[in-house]
Amino acid sequence: MSTGNGRDALLRVEGLRARIGENEILKGVGLSLGPGEVHAIMGPNGSGKSTLAGVLAGRPSCEVTAGTVVYAGQDLLALTPEARAAAGVFLGFQYPVEIPGVGNLFFLRTALNAVRRTRGEDELDAMDFLALAKEKMKLVDLDPAFGSRSVNEGFSGGEKKRNEVFQMAVLEPRLAILDEIDSGLDIDALRVVARGVNALRREDRAILLVTHYKRLLEYIRPDRVHVMAGGRIVRSGGPELADELEKTGYAWVAGEKPEGSTAGSTRGGATP
Amino acid sequence: MSARAATPTPAQESLVAAFAARPGEPAWLADARRESLGRFESLGLPTTRHEDWRFTDLSGLSGQPWVRPGEGGGPWTGALLPEGPRLVFVNGRLRPDLGDAGGLPAGTIATGLAEALARHPEEVRAHLGRLARAEDHPFVAANTALFEDGAFVRLPPGAGPDLSIALVFLSDPGAAPAAAFPRVLLVAGAGARASVAEVFVGRGGPAYLTGAVTEIVLGEGAVVEHVRLQAEALQAYHVGVVCAESAARASLTAHAFTLGGALSRSELRARLAGEGGSVAANGLYLADGTRRVDNFSWVEHAVPHCTTSETYKGILDGHSRAVFAGRIVVKPGAQKTNAYQMNSNLLLSEDAVVDTKPQLEIFADDVKCGHGGTVGQLDEAALFYLRSRGVREEEARGLLMWAFASEMVGRVGPAPLRARARQLVAARLPSGARLVEAMA
Repeated sequence: MSTGNGRDALLRVEGLRARIGENEILKGVGLSLGPGEVHAIMGPNGSGKSTLAGVLAGRPSCEVTAGTVVYAGQDLLALTPEARAAAGVFLGFQYPVEIPGVGNLFFLRTALNAVRRTRGEDELDAMDFLALAKEKMKLVDLDPAFGSRSVNEGFSGGEKKRNEVFQMAVLEPRLAILDEIDSGLDIDALRVVARGVNALRREDRAILLVTHYKRLLEYIRPDRVHVMAGGRIVRSGGPELADELEKTGYAWVAGEKPEGSTAGSTRGGATP
Repeated sequence: MSARAATPTPAQESLVAAFAARPGEPAWLADARRESLGRFESLGLPTTRHEDWRFTDLSGLSGQPWVRPGEGGGPWTGALLPEGPRLVFVNGRLRPDLGDAGGLPAGTIATGLAEALARHPEEVRAHLGRLARAEDHPFVAANTALFEDGAFVRLPPGAGPDLSIALVFLSDPGAAPAAAFPRVLLVAGAGARASVAEVFVGRGGPAYLTGAVTEIVLGEGAVVEHVRLQAEALQAYHVGVVCAESAARASLTAHAFTLGGALSRSELRARLAGEGGSVAANGLYLADGTRRVDNFSWVEHAVPHCTTSETYKGILDGHSRAVFAGRIVVKPGAQKTNAYQMNSNLLLSEDAVVDTKPQLEIFADDVKCGHGGTVGQLDEAALFYLRSRGVREEEARGLLMWAFASEMVGRVGPAPLRARARQLVAARLPSGARLVEAMA
């Protein structure tokens, strides 16, 4: 399978630097992802994985100071979060937000119709949407009762993550960034979530998995694995890289490339 | 000795000049009107020096003369006129052609106040002005002196439960700023159960003033839901005073939705006079621009075993300013009182201000009383979550505001009224039209 380095990459990140407040978190990230590919970004806490996910989705607290992100031929960083969603970018949140008072399905229909309007498609009426939603809920064994509850309110950790994958299934993104979709899940919930994600793998859809643990990658097999440390991708490789990390842990990463250092080599081919 | 203000304001002068004796009215009312006019002359309109008006500057209202309103044009149609029994007023005067008296059970009266004075004078006399005292309230005094019409609703004992009456007050401002003073008297017999809505809607144009007074008398065990939907035009001044008294085991739920008006004051003055009574006061106010919204509530626990629960929520944007003053007075001997008060505010701009003033005056020792409040902003994390799914920022803001406000809409009991409240509230939110459509 392609490594996404070709001219037709769906997502190409180059020299990306970003900060939150005064702290520079991303210090020159390079990454390229082709259609149909699943890449994993692994790394210790604080390495910048979630910040990268946030920057790609347009999180306002993440300020980009340098670099480019080209998505489907357009400057992704110039788009509002909602325009990115309309263009097919989806962020699965590590901590899905509870929104009391806003119904789960009402919210999702509002989102889907906003996206459809932007794309020049007809809006779905309540009946058609409900049929679609019910079908997609099956994908992650989400009880239809969750549709009428407030967004994520009182959901368990596993229910929140399943709700994220359900939303992804309804919104049909071209690029899904799943930020620690495995955190806080027991093994059964992890299987359900992974099954849902795998069902959503498609030739024209790229998936970026952000995870701390190799466990997720046993269920969702990535094409490429990138190791992030100190705000950079320090190593890239095939799925076997995850196995290596499982044996050695992240200690070598910290040893080789201390947090905040500007020195250090980049192994692998993630950065063009 | 006179408490007369040194210089009467243009508003006061013009309103006093508008007073005219009404031939044909009962002598007791003519006397009450003259007395009230005298009180209004000596009290003058409130200024910020008055403790109960400290945060609400009425100089815009006081500084201009007001005339009696004209007939008002038409047509008034569609959503303005709810289904079911309704009385409709234009510029404070009953318009029988727009009303619908159908569907009222036997013994229930819902009629214009002027007509009631002719047909049921003793019943009106027994209550009018008893709860809304003109002595120390300039707007009650002005209303009593100047009201041209209003509504008289009498629910016989045991009436209801599925009884819902709408009073619709439409304002169509003429060339000169005009003031209307509608008066409502609602008498619920023992065990009666009903909801009464007062809806205030106005057209754009010159300033106008609505100075409404409502008196609600609850007999033993009566259960009344009173819904005030103030959706006046944005240039309007609105002062609404609701005075209520409950007998034993009676229950009043009073909703005050403040959605329109350049300046709006909404007062609830309730007295729990019989054991086992309860008052639930719900308020929702939305303001932006330079609008002013003032909610004032005063509940007196005169006897033991009564309950008050107040929840007021507001969303403020721009340079708007809101006031919430909630006084709960527990009289000596009113043991086992249970009273709670909550005021939550969403401030959307740096320049919006809310002054919140809980006041618990407790003269009994075996009571449970408390108050709480919050002032917060829109949840940025939730906003980003919605936007990351494709919801436009404006629509996401509207959705989060709706999430904050919808609790108060949800408290309205009768479904048609709840739907009306939802529609009026959503219409004032960003992307509200889309919200309404999506919720349909």
